[in-house]
Amino acid sequence: MDVILEEKMKKIFRGELKYSSSNLAFNMLISKMQKRVAANPESLDACIKDLEAFLAKYPIVAKVDLANIAAL
Amino acid sequence: MYISLDETVKMINEGKVLHIAADESLLDKLPKGRWIGGTTPYFISEDGGVFSKEMLFVYEIDYAEEISIATYGKYNVFQIVEECYDNGLTTIIIPYGSAVATKYAKEAPEIEELLMHPTIGWISGFDLAEPGEAKVYDGTTGMSYTDKAVVMYIKLPENKTAMINMINIFRDDKSDPVIRFNENELEAGRCTVNDKEVCLAEYIKENGIETGMPLVADYNGSYFNTSIKSVDDKTVGFYAPVFKNIDYRFAARVEDYAREFKNKIDEAGAHAPVFSFNCILNYQYGNLNGRKITPYTGPVTFGEIAYQMLNQTLVYCEVVGQDD
Repeated sequence: MDVILEEKMKKIFRGELKYSSSNLAFNMLISKMQKRVAANPESLDACIKDLEAFLAKYPIVAKVDLANIAAL
Repeated sequence: MYISLDETVKMINEGKVLHIAADESLLDKLPKGRWIGGTTPYFISEDGGVFSKEMLFVYEIDYAEEISIATYGKYNVFQIVEECYDNGLTTIIIPYGSAVATKYAKEAPEIEELLMHPTIGWISGFDLAEPGEAKVYDGTTGMSYTDKAVVMYIKLPENKTAMINMINIFRDDKSDPVIRFNENELEAGRCTVNDKEVCLAEYIKENGIETGMPLVADYNGSYFNTSIKSVDDKTVGFYAPVFKNIDYRFAARVEDYAREFKNKIDEAGAHAPVFSFNCILNYQYGNLNGRKITPYTGPVTFGEIAYQMLNQTLVYCEVVGQDD
């Protein structure tokens, strides 16, 4: 994941940027990461690692949603 | 497909891999084979919603590279995240009212690995007009259970992915009070409303809240319902648990349930779901008896599972090419 995209994902996880997917699992993941980061801001890098594992599992999300997030 | 007992028996005897929903009296007559099943006499057939104890709803799993079937009790149901295929789809059926259903409902959201493994399923039920008992069936052994979940693991070809989604007519109104709970629980006494501690049952009565409307939680734009089962003097019972640290609101009023449900179906735009499980409350309140909602055909259920247990939704799964 490139640096700009990673920064945008971190903003989404911190609740500073809003992005809602049409993919249920991705929305559930974002919601879970937001709660984790809210409870422990230092978990942000671990959340990005979990995100990368998720994207490897769901290439369609990687293709569609990351393009949308990059354009935010 | 919505078919007869003879047609179902023929498919089983031909060695086909099947996921079957039907009344208990029919499932009891099926031969052993590569199938799992759950009880319900309510269906969404190709011709519309229907109640039947003479027909079965059968999904043929002809897209699998491999399958395996297992049963789990409340102590080991979350082994599903360890025993599933790496690139696969897990389909699970759990009997309504069982301890394993409660366990799954309360703890699935906390299982970190679950989102990494597409998991869809339903809660089996019975004819609401009669006393009944929900069951699930492991076709490989011919055994039925009221206290176990039955699971079929489906291995997909490398270039395919299972995508699970849901259709939900409910939304919240962000100007409404936020309700929070202290525990993951199936019934609640105290809770907070806009940070003020109250008795939820009293709050509902004092504010004239219509309990046909579920509580909804916003998971980043996907709304999860918790439907209300009962309200007595001090306690509110739910069909699925509420969770601590989640913000809930009562769903915004839906003026015409059936029309709104039809609109959401039209918007969803799935092409060929391999599974579709629709809540009994949608069937009842949405007047789905006799109404076509293709391509979302399948059993009508006492709860839906899209990774975690849901309420008053339709969940479905499509198997798509990774280049689609």
